[in-house]
Amino acid sequence: MLDVTGLAKVYDADGRKVEAVRDLTFTLAAGELVCLVGPSGCGKTTLLKCISGLMTPTAGTVTLAGRQVTGPPADMAVVFQEYGRSLFPWMTVRQNVELPLKEKKLPKARRGELVDEALSAVGLADADGRYPWQLSGGMQQRVAIARAIAYEPKVLLMDEPFAAVDAQTRADLEDLIRTVWHKFGVTILFVTHDIDEAVYLGQRVIVLSNSPTIVQDDLTVDLPDERDQLTTRADPRFTELRAKVYAEIQAAKRGTVPVGS
Amino acid sequence: MSAPLSRLALRVAQILALPVFLIVLWWYLSRANTSLFVPTPGTIAGVFGEVWTPERLRTDALPSVLRLLAGFSLAGVLGIALGVLIGSSPRLRAFSEPVLEFFRAIPPPVLVPVLILFAGIDSTMKVAVIISGCIWPILLNTVEGVRAVDPVLADTCRSYGIRGGTRLRTLVLRSASPQIMAGLRQALSIAIILMVISEMFAASSGLGFTIVQFQRGFAIPEMWTGIVLLGLLGFGLAMVFGVVERRVLSWYLGLRRAARGSN
Repeated sequence: MLDVTGLAKVYDADGRKVEAVRDLTFTLAAGELVCLVGPSGCGKTTLLKCISGLMTPTAGTVTLAGRQVTGPPADMAVVFQEYGRSLFPWMTVRQNVELPLKEKKLPKARRGELVDEALSAVGLADADGRYPWQLSGGMQQRVAIARAIAYEPKVLLMDEPFAAVDAQTRADLEDLIRTVWHKFGVTILFVTHDIDEAVYLGQRVIVLSNSPTIVQDDLTVDLPDERDQLTTRADPRFTELRAKVYAEIQAAKRGTVPVGS
Repeated sequence: MSAPLSRLALRVAQILALPVFLIVLWWYLSRANTSLFVPTPGTIAGVFGEVWTPERLRTDALPSVLRLLAGFSLAGVLGIALGVLIGSSPRLRAFSEPVLEFFRAIPPPVLVPVLILFAGIDSTMKVAVIISGCIWPILLNTVEGVRAVDPVLADTCRSYGIRGGTRLRTLVLRSASPQIMAGLRQALSIAIILMVISEMFAASSGLGFTIVQFQRGFAIPEMWTGIVLLGLLGFGLAMVFGVVERRVLSWYLGLRRAARGSN
């Protein structure tokens, strides 16, 4: 569904070349939920901007459903970390979710259906007339998620979406992502710096190296599909995977590959 | 009295207290004064009705107000359009900003004699004077507002394929609206000043012209009534503007209240 091949990004900062991403290759199958995790400052945001077509890579290609990405593709939606700045404060929740659908020229009745379905999926069916700034941070991010799923994308990119919410809200939102993913069958690429979150959410965890970034490791998360904040996190396999990813990240920070992988 | 009614009464009292006090003070200070130039409020109120007959309001006040509104709205349209254009392009902004600052620094009244040469002494000249003075705060504020569009919101628009006219209406103009409204508010008071000044130079009608005529003819209470009328006009326009502003910026006021509440 989503193929990233030989992706590289070199910034030109005042005549000095800064290599952010060196060589990234990975693939997401249709309907997969994959987490990208890496040390802070490893070029996750650069990578995400290249995949979403908001930034042109220096080398390499991104292919979505067989078509090369040269600008923001119509069948992709992005959820940004800064929920407070990605919703239109002059629009109600419903208007925010509906706007991209209007631009897609969907008929009014269909728009209504999609908005209602998306808002009830994120548990905000009653908040449709309120403004984003009347909602808590977690609720605002739910609106952004609703907007993304109402858009009916093939691929949903999430850029550290829960980095700015409190721990309890975060656990709720993680479960929401799993639910939404099951319900809508969308392919999700979830970027995070949180190792627990990556292992808890993903079917696979791609570990990135320090900048200039390459793929350090690609782990399959062989945990049961039904996940639960209590039992999954207490599962010995969860702890094992978590320790493994942690070791990888530490190694990535030092710029080495851990023994045994 | 029921609660909302007494609140309303209190609000009215609050609004009227200072004006009433000032009028009483004026009356007290001018009551024993024999100076021809400082009439009592009573005299002015008495003359007001005689001077500003419906006929005179139609021939002198109405054309002034229409020119004011024409100049202000044209300056608004032009200023916002140019501001969006300049604000959207960093290159165009760097290129034009020093020139814009230069034009803004020129006191608009000095343009009146110049504009008379080009546009004559009719309404065109007066509207042109109003535009030339009040376009700058609108233009420069729009440039600032458009420039400050949130990059995350701009990325959101791009990734959802929101572009062209929809982007302009739903992103650019809305996010610049607090600055645009601040520019329009400044422009409105400049417009009133220029309306009067443009009529003082070369005119045969209008509020500014009438006030100068009365002054030259030593019709002092009549002159004062003109000044009072101008004050009332400015007050009325500011009220109307305030109502529009509260509607347009209700989201912004709410957002600010929410931000203050959580901090």
